[in-house]
Amino acid sequence: MLEVKNLNVSFNGKKILKSLNFKLKAGDITAVVGESGTGKTTLAMSIMGLISEQFSNAKVSGNIFFNGIDICTADRNQLQQLRWKRISMVFQNVDNILNPTLSINSQISEIMPGKNNDLKIKNTLARVGFPPERAVAYPHQLSMGEKQKVLLAMAYILEPELVILDEPTSSLDHHTRNNLIDIIKKMSSGRAVLILTHDLDTVRKLTKKTIMLYGGSIIEAGDTEAIFSNPRHPYTRGLLRSFPSTDRTKDLQGIRGKPEFVEEGCPFHPRCTQSINICRIQKPPLDEYEDRMLSCHRGGIIPLLEVKDVSKSYNGLDVLKSVSLNIYEGETVTLLGRSGSGKTTLAKIIMGLLKADSGEIYLDTRQVNKWDFNFYSRVQMIFQEVASAISHRLNVFEAVTEPLVIQKITERKILEEEAKKVLSEVQLPADHDFLRLYPHHLSGGELQRIVIARALILSPGLLIADEPTSSLDASIQAKILKLLNNIQEERGLGMLFITHDLGVARKVSDKILKLDNGIITEERIK
Amino acid sequence: MHISVKKNLKKDKSALAGLVMLSLLVLIALAAPLFTKDPRAFSNLILSKPDINHILGTNDLGQDIFSRLFYGLRTSIFISIAAGALSTFLSVIIGIFSGLTGGIIDQIIMRIIDAMLVIPSIIILILISAFIKPDLIGLIILISIFHWQGGARIIRGQTLSLKQKGHIYSATTFGAKKAYILARHIIPDLGNIITASFLHNARSAVFLEAGIAFIGISAADTISLGTMMNRALEFYYLPVWAWWLLPAGIMLSLILISLTLLNNLIEKIIDPRLHDA
Repeated sequence: MLEVKNLNVSFNGKKILKSLNFKLKAGDITAVVGESGTGKTTLAMSIMGLISEQFSNAKVSGNIFFNGIDICTADRNQLQQLRWKRISMVFQNVDNILNPTLSINSQISEIMPGKNNDLKIKNTLARVGFPPERAVAYPHQLSMGEKQKVLLAMAYILEPELVILDEPTSSLDHHTRNNLIDIIKKMSSGRAVLILTHDLDTVRKLTKKTIMLYGGSIIEAGDTEAIFSNPRHPYTRGLLRSFPSTDRTKDLQGIRGKPEFVEEGCPFHPRCTQSINICRIQKPPLDEYEDRMLSCHRGGIIPLLEVKDVSKSYNGLDVLKSVSLNIYEGETVTLLGRSGSGKTTLAKIIMGLLKADSGEIYLDTRQVNKWDFNFYSRVQMIFQEVASAISHRLNVFEAVTEPLVIQKITERKILEEEAKKVLSEVQLPADHDFLRLYPHHLSGGELQRIVIARALILSPGLLIADEPTSSLDASIQAKILKLLNNIQEERGLGMLFITHDLGVARKVSDKILKLDNGIITEERIK
Repeated sequence: MHISVKKNLKKDKSALAGLVMLSLLVLIALAAPLFTKDPRAFSNLILSKPDINHILGTNDLGQDIFSRLFYGLRTSIFISIAAGALSTFLSVIIGIFSGLTGGIIDQIIMRIIDAMLVIPSIIILILISAFIKPDLIGLIILISIFHWQGGARIIRGQTLSLKQKGHIYSATTFGAKKAYILARHIIPDLGNIITASFLHNARSAVFLEAGIAFIGISAADTISLGTMMNRALEFYYLPVWAWWLLPAGIMLSLILISLTLLNNLIEKIIDPRLHDA
């Protein structure tokens, strides 16, 4: 029904939409999701054919075919035939759309051809849940939700084939929103509906398909359920993580940096934690990946570590029985289990400190045969016993820079710079006096931060944290968990978090794996 | 466990006394040629009483006892340092190797050590000495061969426990090679134990050398406190024991006491149970 083909829109030479391609069919409710300023409204206005009409500084190229008519090249008359009758739209700022001097009744009549439409108006208002007897009221007498309903009634009253709803639920309370979602669902059968929103809750409840828009480009598109349960683009995951929801237990995480205008390359690359050189230079094409379309040079969120069928036994006691797990970039996987269930054994096997009886370990999709510096610069581990993790003979400076010294970086200036950088990242002072303290001068929380700093100084991609907070009291634990969360957001660190505490696990994890009797089972969390 | 030897030394007066004593003895031994005569020079003046020329008189061969006393001290200190160092070196090498390697090799080394510890080493030493009459270097090697086992056992145990410590694991996961971990972590962490082992071996070496010399089975040309006491005892019926036997005995005791006092301090540092309340 609607086909957007290579649509580009620029204002004053600044590209707002970059070669968009997608199709809508009758009966589809599709969401276009993106943060403010990603070009959602520009897209809607392009489909309505309003861009070149309203803005003299805008340039539109490409095609938007609506049942064979190209909106981009259509003349005023053709467009007028389409608007409201075949394509209707509800704009975002409900307050400014309605004419304050007209009653609701006259407001709706305005868009209707002919006279004696009262009955139809009454019926439509009833369908959207607006009491028809209030149709005599003026906009200022209505609540937000009621105005939204009036606008919906206007959008649907002429039975258009395509309805565009711009942020239909964004400023409404939970109850009104759910009510409106039901109404939209009911009204939309047989039509194509395009919903532009940043409200993920609405998207999940209302739509079948989702298009993720970032910086004017589509970065991921596919079935809503698939995208929400298993986001493949780092931006999609970041957005989902930023969105508070009633059934999410993991702490909110944002996306690092702020949206900025990118002329070249992938629009998300300045904020992406897994960007490589090509991301800066070349815009990734929108390709098909399994069940969806994805635009990412790295094929979406990259798998960091894969443990395949690892088994280990001590003196005939099977501690791990053919254990497998996957960790993706920027993901926290928690290994939950009782003491002695083999959690640390698995961590040590991954780190090469213990030899598995059988099984394979893959890092960055390559099998690990040798645990050398290359491996350890990608994977680091925080050991359980903080007190013994740092030699009592090393002061803070020596402890933090030890990994670099081992890597033969000995220039004092570089070491000091790196130490200061990483210490400030873990929120510790980096002054001369502090650098010269010994472990026995420090508190448990400070020691834990130093242990984390040591692990971070080699800039690993994956951090294995073995009970990093089990010896700390609650208030310090909260701070350390938050710190790890922030570091993950900033660096895109994958984390294997080992704990016996379900509460902690739920707070930090994207995925919880339960290790019991040497077997891993996945615990469902939302 | 963070230890400041300096702080402990300040607190422990007896250890401080031991250190001062040992330092003085070492200094005197080093400076001996400056204030003594040739200890081997014979004269006609035999078994003379102390006077201006011979502060502690002369022995049965007319040699100056005062000079021989300090040269004997030199021998004792040399042997304590050399045998202490050599046996401790063997302990460290074998102990760490055994502990780090583990498995069957560790088991074999440990059984050899057990076997050697069971044999009364002093009797073997006396037998071998009586047979080959070892010179100073020979004695050092002999004593060392029979004195590394105890230390090696302790060091192996400590290495096993250190191997499992977080900071060693951490260093491994920073990509450190075995040599780095040995030099930067394991050996420094064993520092106290190595020092204790050295002091212990040094003390035994002094005692053994004097003992072997005392029963007259070491090389005749070695000037030793043990030989002096042995010879002096032959003339116990003369008053010479007062300036021949006694000073040698006192000198030997001083060395042993100073080493023991220092050793006590190190033991106290290593073993928290010996800490003062």
